[in-house]
Order: sequence, then C-alpha cells, then structure tokens
Amino acid sequence: MEREVAIVGVGWEGFQPTTPHYSYKELIYQAAQKAYHNANVDPRKDIQSFVTVAEDFIEGTSIFDEYTPDQLGAVLKPMHTITGDGLHGLITAYLMIRSGICKIAAVEAHSKASNIKTLSQITHYALDPMLNRPFEFHPDFIAGLEMARFLHEAHITPEDCALVVQKNRRNALENPSAPYGFDYRLEEIQDCQPVAYPLLESHIAQPADGAIVVVLASREIAESLTVEPIWILGVGWCNDMYNLEYRDWGHLPYVTKAAQMAYHQAQIQTPSKKIDFAEVDDLYAYRELMSLVALGLISKHELPDALKMGKFHSTGQLPINLSGGSLGMGNLLEANGLAKLVEAVLQLRGQAGKRQLSFPHIGLVQSWRGIPTSSAAVVILASS
Amino acid sequence: MFSPFSINFESPTQWHGDLPVTSRYTAGIALERFFIALRDEGKILGIRCSRCSKTYVPPTLFCPQCLTELQEFVDVGLHGEIYTYTISYRNLDGSLSNAPQVIAFIKIADGGIIHKIEGIPPHQVFIGMKVAAVLKPTAERSGSILDICAFKPFG
Ligand SMILES: [Zn+2]
Repeated sequence: MEREVAIVGVGWEGFQPTTPHYSYKELIYQAAQKAYHNANVDPRKDIQSFVTVAEDFIEGTSIFDEYTPDQLGAVLKPMHTITGDGLHGLITAYLMIRSGICKIAAVEAHSKASNIKTLSQITHYALDPMLNRPFEFHPDFIAGLEMARFLHEAHITPEDCALVVQKNRRNALENPSAPYGFDYRLEEIQDCQPVAYPLLESHIAQPADGAIVVVLASREIAESLTVEPIWILGVGWCNDMYNLEYRDWGHLPYVTKAAQMAYHQAQIQTPSKKIDFAEVDDLYAYRELMSLVALGLISKHELPDALKMGKFHSTGQLPINLSGGSLGMGNLLEANGLAKLVEAVLQLRGQAGKRQLSFPHIGLVQSWRGIPTSSAAVVILASS
Repeated sequence: MFSPFSINFESPTQWHGDLPVTSRYTAGIALERFFIALRDEGKILGIRCSRCSKTYVPPTLFCPQCLTELQEFVDVGLHGEIYTYTISYRNLDGSLSNAPQVIAFIKIADGGIIHKIEGIPPHQVFIGMKVAAVLKPTAERSGSILDICAFKPFG
C-alpha cells in the first residue's frame, strides 16, 4: 500500500453550540496554532501551500476566499479556497503534495453556524429556482423524502434510526470536544417532534461552531518530523446529478463511487474485513445507515440485525462514529469531514482518550455536504 | 495572551447585516418548452434519449448520461406514482406549520416531479400510490410549476 503523504498535525477549536466571544478568524487562528504546534512546524517558514473550504452565503461575506490567509500564516503564500467539504480540501492538499508542487501543506475548515440567522433559507436558495423553490417548503423535506424511500427499500424502521442517535450521542459523552453528548432512552428519541415524517427533530444533527486545521506532509518530511505520521492510503470523491427529479432516492451511488475510488487506491478488496472503524456522515441519523451500505461496509439485508446486535457500537465489531459523529459533535457545516478526520487520526495515533480502540490500523472517513447536495468524499487512513 | 472572560458583555460585540439578493433565472430551451406546454396545453412534457432508452421528466436539452443533444419531446401524461413522500411540519423559516403538508416525488417515466399531495389524509398516503396532477384553470396558469395545484389519488 502506498505511503506517500501523511497527516502530521491536527488542531481544532470547539466544538460548541455558540462561540460568542471569538470571531471566525480567531477560531481559525486558535485551531491553526494548535495544529502547527502538534506538527511541530513553523507556518511562516515550513508550510508551502494552504487550502481552505468555505461557502459565501454561509459566511455572510461575498468573495470569502479573500478573508482566509492572515489567520493561517498564509499571507503572500500559495493558497486557495474551494467550495466543498473539508475532506475535499484535504484531498486537494494531498494531490498537491503527490504532484510534487509542495512538500508540506495545511487545510482549514470552520463553522460559525451560530452567526447564521437564516440557514434554512440559504439551503432553500440552493434548490432549483423554477422547479423546487416556488413551493417554499422547509428544505428538510428532501431528507424526509430520502429517509422514507431508504426505509422502504432496506426494511429499516424509524426505531433503527433512533438506535443510531442513541449510539452517537452516547459516544459523544466520551469525547470532550463534542457538545451534544447525552444518554437518551430510545423512547425519548422517538417521542420527538416530527420535522418531515418519518424524520424527527432528534434525528437531525444540531449546528455547532468550531475550526479545524490539518497539516499534511510528503513521506520524506513526515518521517523527519517528531510526530507519528498517519498515512493517507486512498482518497475518492464523486458527485451525482443535482436535479432532485433524476435522483435515486433509495441509494447513494455517489458515496459508493467515491469509496470504490479510495478502496482501489488503498488496494482494499473487502472493506468490511480491512476497515477497523469508520467515521461516516450522520447529519441525519438515517444517513449513517445509508452511507454504511453505500460504502460496502454492510449489506442492506444484514443491516437490521447488525443494528440490534450493536455491531457499530464502540465495543462492536465495526465501531462507527466513535467521535459522536455530527449528532454528537454538532453540524459543523463545511468542517464536518475534518471533524471526523480528526477522530480517525486520534484513534490511529492512540490518543483518543476514554474512547480509544485497541490498536486500530485502518480507519475510513466519509463526508457529505448536506441537503440538497449529492457530493461525497472518502479518505482512508492507516497508522504507522 | 487574551481571555474571553475580559469581555464586557454590555459592549457592542456583534453587528447584524443583510443583503437583498434578487436574480433572474433563464429557464433554457428545454424547461421553457415544459412550462409553456403546461400553461397552454395542460400537458407534462418529457424528452427522450433513444441512445439510453430514457425519457427525462422534466425535459433537459442534453442527456446527462451520454451527452447527446435531445430533441424528441414527448407528452408523458398527467399520471404518476408516489416513489417517496414526506409530511412536512415546518415552514421555510423553521417555525411550526399549522397544516402539515404531504410532499412527494411523483415518478413519471424516468424522472418525475416534486409536488404536494392533496385530497387524502396524510396517514393514508403510501409509496406506490397512483396519483394524477390537478391543474389550475387555463386562465390562471402562468407557466410555472405551481400551474399544477397538487397531485391527487386516482383510480
Ligand atoms: Zn443518453
């Protein structure tokens, strides 16, 4: 398996439902300082290229990419911003190192969700203006449609989705960075308000603020640094058609394609045997189950039993979202992928505290940009 | 070194901003035909890709699978089947709505339409249900997806 690019530093600030004291720049600055300290690098001297991810409407500022260099130490250095999840940004930095353009790069993603006063309207504005927007539906109807079709096809019940909520929010209790840890009884989860039947309020990840910075390095640099490198074995990304009308509502073919690309590069033939743990999209509880199927980590017909047997619990055969996932850490918007990546790095380094697995070798991270997107990224990591 | 605890909570720490965003969207050749047919003839149009044996609803000028330019518009009728549905309890701003709304993806040919389901209690709706479009009277139609009032069960 290839070991050409490694993650050599991670830093994050948060995560919290609100951060009234810090501006987004200060959040990023804090996360960056921690990441550079973690990697033991000097950003002004050592880091050769920077990538950030952001979306103008979410930031509340046009041409937001102009606002990103100073807090990262990227002034007058190669840097660019992409609209994508943090994992897309990470893959971009990975590709720059693989191509030889630079040897050490930093990636940043953040969320200042508490400053967004009209998130549902921003999501609504992402829909087709003529076919979908005229109804003025709350955009979570899209998750409701997807969940209903998936439950129908996979013979999954809303109770199975409640098990995902219970697991992830319990996992979050062991993660000091996760603000939404709670030990719920299943009835408490199921008695929640419906938002878009069968989707309940309790199935939805609540917004959170935070910033994450990751430092990547080529093999020669990684091996010279003091920190244990976590190797990137494979990366994949994929988008489906954006039209809701042409969509395959019961499956996530774009997640499957992104995963296959990453598995191929990592030379993984049977992912369910090779992957020790995974951090997957759970912005809505049903999405965790859909993603696991799409990633080839479980088949649709094995899923109901696996859930009841606790296969995905922290002590199960295939722990999923040990970090607490987005249900436990909060919806960090474009930073969701990197929040999950941080967990994978900590697990593989053996630094995950009370939630540490015993000697995991390979972890998978997958992210989705949320409704209404059909956008997936997958990264496979390995310990040294 | 700074500390968040040094903040004076009475001091101006926030600024509120907004932006009026108004845009014009071009329907394009395929969707313009779709909306005009709906308005003037009360028809739902799709478009056929003979290479992929697919009929796209709503129509598109090109096949997203094989990228062939498409020309064969077809009348796909006003009937479809509920492929998936949801009951929305929220208004666009997130507030609770007074009247829960059934929203469905109605499969028509190899595509379909996202629309409201009416004329049936929400708990009686099911995946696979046959539904038909109910159109506004001709004089009230404007060439919009809202020229269809809703889909209702039939048969
Ligand atoms: Zn075609």
